[in-house]
Amino acid sequence: MKKILIALFVAGSTSALAGGFQLNVQSARGMGMGGAYSGYCIGTESVFFNPGGMTNLKGHNFTIGGSLIMPLVSLQTPMTDNINQTSPMATPIHFYYGGQILDNLFVGLGINNQFGSSSSFENDWEGRFIVQNISLKTFTFQPTVAYKIHDYISVGAGFVLTTGSFAYEKAVPVGSASTDYGKAKLTGSGISYGFNAGIFSTIIDNDKMKLTFGASYRSGQALNLEDGLAEFTDIPPSLVGTFPTSTSFTGKLNLPSVISTGISYQYKFNENNSLTVLYDFNYTGWSTYDTLAFDFDNTDTPDSKTTKAWANSPTHRFGIEYALNEMFFFRAGGYYDITPIQDGFVSPELPDQTQFVPTFGFGMQIGDHFAFDLAWFHQDTERESDLTDAGFTAKYHRIADGITFSTTIKF
Amino acid sequence: MKNTGLILIGIALVSSSCRKVEFEEVERTYGDADFSRYISVGNSLTQGYQDGGVYKEGQEDSYPAIIARQMQIVDPNMDDFEQPEVYGNGSGYMHLEYINGEIEVISPGDLTNEPTEEDASWANWGASMKSIKYNNLGISGITLMQCVAINDDELEINNAILGGFSITIPFVIDTTIPGNPFARFMDFGGNPNFLLGGGTPIQYVDHIEQSNATFFTSWLGDNDVLGYATSGGIPVEIDGTLLGLGVIQYGNLSDPIVFRQKYDSVLTAFSSIGAEGVCATIPDVTVIPYFNTFTVGGIKEDYGYADVWIEEGDGNGGVTQVRIASDADLILLTAKDDIEAGAGSSETNPLSNGRVLDQGEVNACRSRTIELNNAIKSSAAMFNYPVVDMYGFLDKIKPGIMMEGIGISPEYIGGGAFSLDGVHLNPRGYAIAANEFIKVINEAYGSNIPLASIGSYRGVVFP
Repeated sequence: MKKILIALFVAGSTSALAGGFQLNVQSARGMGMGGAYSGYCIGTESVFFNPGGMTNLKGHNFTIGGSLIMPLVSLQTPMTDNINQTSPMATPIHFYYGGQILDNLFVGLGINNQFGSSSSFENDWEGRFIVQNISLKTFTFQPTVAYKIHDYISVGAGFVLTTGSFAYEKAVPVGSASTDYGKAKLTGSGISYGFNAGIFSTIIDNDKMKLTFGASYRSGQALNLEDGLAEFTDIPPSLVGTFPTSTSFTGKLNLPSVISTGISYQYKFNENNSLTVLYDFNYTGWSTYDTLAFDFDNTDTPDSKTTKAWANSPTHRFGIEYALNEMFFFRAGGYYDITPIQDGFVSPELPDQTQFVPTFGFGMQIGDHFAFDLAWFHQDTERESDLTDAGFTAKYHRIADGITFSTTIKF
Repeated sequence: MKNTGLILIGIALVSSSCRKVEFEEVERTYGDADFSRYISVGNSLTQGYQDGGVYKEGQEDSYPAIIARQMQIVDPNMDDFEQPEVYGNGSGYMHLEYINGEIEVISPGDLTNEPTEEDASWANWGASMKSIKYNNLGISGITLMQCVAINDDELEINNAILGGFSITIPFVIDTTIPGNPFARFMDFGGNPNFLLGGGTPIQYVDHIEQSNATFFTSWLGDNDVLGYATSGGIPVEIDGTLLGLGVIQYGNLSDPIVFRQKYDSVLTAFSSIGAEGVCATIPDVTVIPYFNTFTVGGIKEDYGYADVWIEEGDGNGGVTQVRIASDADLILLTAKDDIEAGAGSSETNPLSNGRVLDQGEVNACRSRTIELNNAIKSSAAMFNYPVVDMYGFLDKIKPGIMMEGIGISPEYIGGGAFSLDGVHLNPRGYAIAANEFIKVINEAYGSNIPLASIGSYRGVVFP
């Protein structure tokens, strides 16, 4: 009969949220043109892309829209030929208001889902000790003002408030005679603050052409999960002290900053018939997302800390828009997104990869008061990498299609 | 807005048609290898011994059984992998209980708790199995020295150690050498000793020759260090006077030159029947939980000892001196009860030689392991068999590593891969070992046996 002290070695396998959980579907108009919008700014979505560009609006404009994102992710591991994620479809929404209240003063409001990800796997899948289900949902609110300094230059800024909720489930490698493994479920929510500021300049605007430029900076945000709840189930009775039925935890999720600069050039065939080409450069400060740590109030529960070691990543965005007449707009574009996730840090829930994403869009202006926009993007990537900290290796194939639509009412 | 809906559905349909994301089934191949009859040779690790015994549930997940399970995916026509099956609790084993807020290890024979005692079938286990040709030839406790003899004396000794014998002449002699209980499924013939009529012995290596193996794994040699280490550097003795051999001492560190010779004999046996295979090296046994659960510092802290006193062994059962232990001396897991009774607290009450692998003995084990591994490697190279570097692998998991999101380390109970005896692996640990074999097999023979998912094999069973 021997008494044994146990320090369980269960550290560090939580690689909670992986790559590209920044959603690129903040506007149907923008999406159709590869999201190259910070130097264009003709609609309400300027609130998000570049508050300085809001000054191009006339009257009061309301846009409401949403997206369907349909991800398919399959994995191949050294053990299993094919594993499918069972992730649900995502349905982010966006709402923008922008209006002119004085000659030079404009106000706006944006509400959208800028960050989010949801991944799930079948029960008992071989990576369950890394992740079973995970989701992050955020809502961002951004009241904004813009000021037209003169015809050629405007500035704008908004206060950003983000609410986030987070849920993460995984298996805990402790079994008993009646259970193969335990389960952990972490849920938490929090609020973060930041700002979004931009400058917009119309360099040339005449009968033949229009050249505009914009730059914006969306600050990073620290989403503190202050009062998270960790629940452990199917834990052997002898380990309930380590993995209690419930305990609270704190955690922090850093949402990255984004610097954008963009330029647009429009050639006018006539008043209502034009071709516009756009280019945007984004730089996303993912390196703030260096570690993801959960501190449990229950002292015996091993705290969890995951090194993400993400790199700041540039994105190049291109788009063209052809205005056939005052009613129909055809758009195409794409973006080249360099993944922030380095080899050795790819996690099964969201295997991001450097990729070119083609986009297409269509817009319809019906009279002066009503507009409808639609856009589509397609992602198809493969990647093979370790998640070194978890001792997990897989080949990934991810396809995601997104459809974004919006309607705008102006009066 | 009606049209909008139609457009969306249209786009969704178009895009879903080119949305095949699944990976194709991998075409499996056995490459240049012939897995049709896979034979495993080795000791307790190979037999699936864990938690201080061989029992049914543990044996089912011996590492050779796991390898065979995975092999079958690339060669569905291979022979079923037959193990000398034990029933129920088999030889009895340790398990954990949660008593008064503490996790306790309950061993067979425990009087106050409910031990997992040996199965009723164990006493006669093996008697009816001797004619069956099993695939798993692992025998707990066997050393490479016992696999093949280099002279007649050794032939008799090995035969007695493995097969045992008894002689009864009423009123004159009544002696039994019990043999190795875990070897009872194997026929070792008669003891060649002329006094007893000179039976015809069958050696372990003979069984290899008669195994019809087309493929093998060999993880022999561990006990050529481990036996010495787990006894705290004291050789095991059995009385062989009756055989005219005096007191037989075994469990010493095996001699590297003889070891090499014998490893060659084993591989000759396999190569003579045309078998392909792989050989595994001996891990650094001083890394296992058996030697690292009670540390000198830990004992001072937990039991309030100013110093820990130990007997230093001469490596041959004798004691050279009593001295204060340092961190370089390893206290065995089996010392727990002695420590709780106060042993080691003073010069007059030291921890006995058999409870300590002292620094000299540790060094002897480590350097001998390296010598024996060199012998394994050069022998394997001579026969062109690839080598699984188990020595390097255990070294790699020593600081703790993550596999499939599961933490694995050599820590006792909490480390997840070692069984409760602190020496042998549990099913998850055996799956990890099996994967090391599979990786080498695939690389050397061009097969693509999928790895076993270690998460689907159980770790420690917590109460």
